[in-house]
Amino acid sequence: MSDPSWADFVAGFEIFRDPLLCAGVAGLVLGFLGVFVVLRRMVFVTATLSQSAGLGVALAFYAQIHLGWALDPVLGAIALALAAAGVFALEPSKLRLSRESILGVSYITAGALVVLVGDRISQEAHEISAIVFGTAVLVRFSDLVLVLVVGGAITLLHLVAHRGFVFASFDPEGARVQGVPVRALDLALWGSLALMVAVATRALGVLPVFAFAVIPAMTALLLGAAMRVTLVVAAVLGATAALVGYVVAFLWSFPVGATQAGVAAALFVVAALLRRLRPA
Amino acid sequence: MSTPVTSTSETGTAQGASVTPAVTAGAPRLARPPGAVLLRSEHLLVGHGGRAILPPIDLTISAGEIWTVLGRNGAGKTTWFRTLLGLARPLGGAIVRARPDLRVAYVPQRTQFDELYPVRVHEVVRMGAERGRSVFGRSRVDVDGALTAVDALALRDRPFRALSEGQKQRVLLARVCAARAELALLDEPTAAMDVVAEREAFSLLARLRAEHDMAVVVVSHYLDVARELADKALLLDREGQSVVVGTPAQVFDSETFHRAYGTSAEVCAHDSPPAVFHE
Repeated sequence: MSDPSWADFVAGFEIFRDPLLCAGVAGLVLGFLGVFVVLRRMVFVTATLSQSAGLGVALAFYAQIHLGWALDPVLGAIALALAAAGVFALEPSKLRLSRESILGVSYITAGALVVLVGDRISQEAHEISAIVFGTAVLVRFSDLVLVLVVGGAITLLHLVAHRGFVFASFDPEGARVQGVPVRALDLALWGSLALMVAVATRALGVLPVFAFAVIPAMTALLLGAAMRVTLVVAAVLGATAALVGYVVAFLWSFPVGATQAGVAAALFVVAALLRRLRPA
Repeated sequence: MSTPVTSTSETGTAQGASVTPAVTAGAPRLARPPGAVLLRSEHLLVGHGGRAILPPIDLTISAGEIWTVLGRNGAGKTTWFRTLLGLARPLGGAIVRARPDLRVAYVPQRTQFDELYPVRVHEVVRMGAERGRSVFGRSRVDVDGALTAVDALALRDRPFRALSEGQKQRVLLARVCAARAELALLDEPTAAMDVVAEREAFSLLARLRAEHDMAVVVVSHYLDVARELADKALLLDREGQSVVVGTPAQVFDSETFHRAYGTSAEVCAHDSPPAVFHE
């Protein structure tokens, strides 16, 4: 059987519209959030947030089965991802630890707890991965709405508080001296990332979400543009990787999430080559 | 005439140090009328983990004054400085600001800035004008005016990380201008500079003080700064549990200074050719 054609894609666009829109918005928002993730040297924060969201889903199922609580797994995912973000916003130097080590402990703890809780809800365990780690091929309408609402709110927040996020990241002590609410901005930054990761992972899966939150930002930073331009470029690259990746996956029958991550990586390689060729 | 020495505890201990009479040697170098009081450190105890590392410190910073903070490595300069900035909690005493909205600007050591950030010079200068929740509103700051004041307008659109150390310092001083700061606190601002860039930076600082009647507190290892530029000096000596506050001449003549710096300090303090900082 031959691979589907562009005409097939156009003919079936109604089916693909929602997953395309969902991935595009997730790529856009995670793209600019990723600039802060990369600049703060916390690229594994996204993986840890996904793992925490998984724990939230597992706990929600546990509460349903063993405690009789009607808890929506998506709410569990969001709550645990936000809790993890709260831990990242703490100042680890007070404990004489690096933020990286806090990330590592959080990732391992959440991963272990997912397995342990999953062991007690074995009949629903297979659903956990389906609910937390979507496929990016098709998305439910409720997931699309969630991604659009959360993505829109986060974009608005970052438009309003852009200067604050940059100041608090670049010179946190100077910002504190000038009375800028650095702690609140850090909480808002990691909280917005946690929310976006929780809802996007649910719709698209871990791999593309991790890719959107890291690779477009690295690509944009390679170009050496101003901060504001870097944020816009990273957002555009994230959306491009999501949309182009989906179409490529359809045309050549590849897995969608992996193709989206691959396109993001290809854009990075192109940018790296352009940078090498650029005269000093 | 500058105000007299405010406190000295040459041989005190961290807790309940006895305050000995002021050092009287040396005449005030600059004849500036005292400006309005901006900030007072009242019996301020600084330290880590609940343990004070220096005797209590009393001093008053007034408008138009330049203070230099001296002390050898590990003397407690950074701890005192961070406490004054509000980045560390005092263990005792108080820091009293003339007004809650006193405009304070902080120039950190250049090593504090991560070179990954692609921020442009105009963005760094704009940060100086942010106060509290102003980051959520429209920015109204005369970036070009601030850069012009430090002769750095040509750097406006360049990446901050691509500048030389001297240029970076100029930009950070433009940030102080943009802040319309009444009190500027600089932590070893010339640590990575060559001699020429260092002199230029301090001349610029002296000029800004003269033009804006700004009080300046500089943590510096360079005794020249204290000798040629400062109106007041604070000498910290954690090992000897001693704090000296006074004019630079008074501090240079103190027992603590000679104990901390030895005979090499006398050469720096009295015999070397004077540095020239133009206002």
